[in-house]
Amino acid sequence: MTGDQTPQPAGGSGPPPESGAGYTALGYLIGGLAVWGFIGWLVDQWLDTGGLATGIGFLLGGAGGVYLVIRRLGTPS
Amino acid sequence: MIGQSIVLAAEGDIPFPPSVEDFFLPAIVPWGEHNSYWFTKFTALVWVSVGILIIFFLLSYRKPQLVPTRKQWIAESIYGFVRNNIAVDMIGHRGVAFAPYFTTLFVFILMNNLWQIIPGVQISPNTHIAFPAILAIISYVMFIWVGIRHHGFAKFMKHSLMPPAPWFMQPLLIPIEIISTFIARPVSLALRLFANLFAGHIILLVFTLGGFVLLNADAFFLKPISVLSWAVSIAITFLEALVIVLQAYIFTVLSASYVQGALADEH
Repeated sequence: MTGDQTPQPAGGSGPPPESGAGYTALGYLIGGLAVWGFIGWLVDQWLDTGGLATGIGFLLGGAGGVYLVIRRLGTPS
Repeated sequence: MIGQSIVLAAEGDIPFPPSVEDFFLPAIVPWGEHNSYWFTKFTALVWVSVGILIIFFLLSYRKPQLVPTRKQWIAESIYGFVRNNIAVDMIGHRGVAFAPYFTTLFVFILMNNLWQIIPGVQISPNTHIAFPAILAIISYVMFIWVGIRHHGFAKFMKHSLMPPAPWFMQPLLIPIEIISTFIARPVSLALRLFANLFAGHIILLVFTLGGFVLLNADAFFLKPISVLSWAVSIAITFLEALVIVLQAYIFTVLSASYVQGALADEH
């Protein structure tokens, strides 16, 4: 029982080249919120703006994350 | 584990619900010692995995033949699958150079995961974050090293940290790129493998030990339900078989995807 020994041609049933794209997108979205939310929180601690800076940080980070997904993954390479 | 549980069930105190403590087993050397982690079941399992893999591949390729024997065919199929369907498909012709590493990574993770469902062992070394973390660090250092060697340090950093965007957007975007490329990637790689196996082991414990808890229940009508609980634990074992292969595959594919990203030219 040796089976089919013809070498599999490359480009068969493997993962498409952009397989990591889903996790990359997730990383951008969460990363954006985390980084700028944290920076906003730091500004909050510094200037005592009562959560306003944190909110602006989250908004900026969310927008940046979405923008990155569009620029990096939106156009097919 | 089951033998231990029967003894405990007879005493009437089943360690239920399962907790993180169930993952810290007593040491093998010195025998039965708690709080000694130099040689535990996990250490032994990793060495056994490495031994099995080395012996299997050495024996398979000892006398390679044009018309392969069955063992040689299995070994060649595994290598061919990773080389053609992961390395070459994702990275292109340069991927052949990485095929040995990806194959080693794939079979090592697969073999270590497999202990999760092998009767009598039923726990995988990858349920401890240390093993996935080291594997993730190896892939992480490799894709950065490969990228720097291919592009040069400055160009690699520019390539991976400066998205195609107007200059005034860069201060907003570069911190996000730093986090998602250099922190989120290795962390998610390690956590995904670890958490899947950890959760799988907890679920198996819940249904196996839960069966004994039901059997010991005071209410008589609860006792037959223990059979259902054990049936579910067997079904979950088959589900785990799928998770085990899938997680080894995902880890390898994502490593390949990171290498591909590091080697990619500007587009």
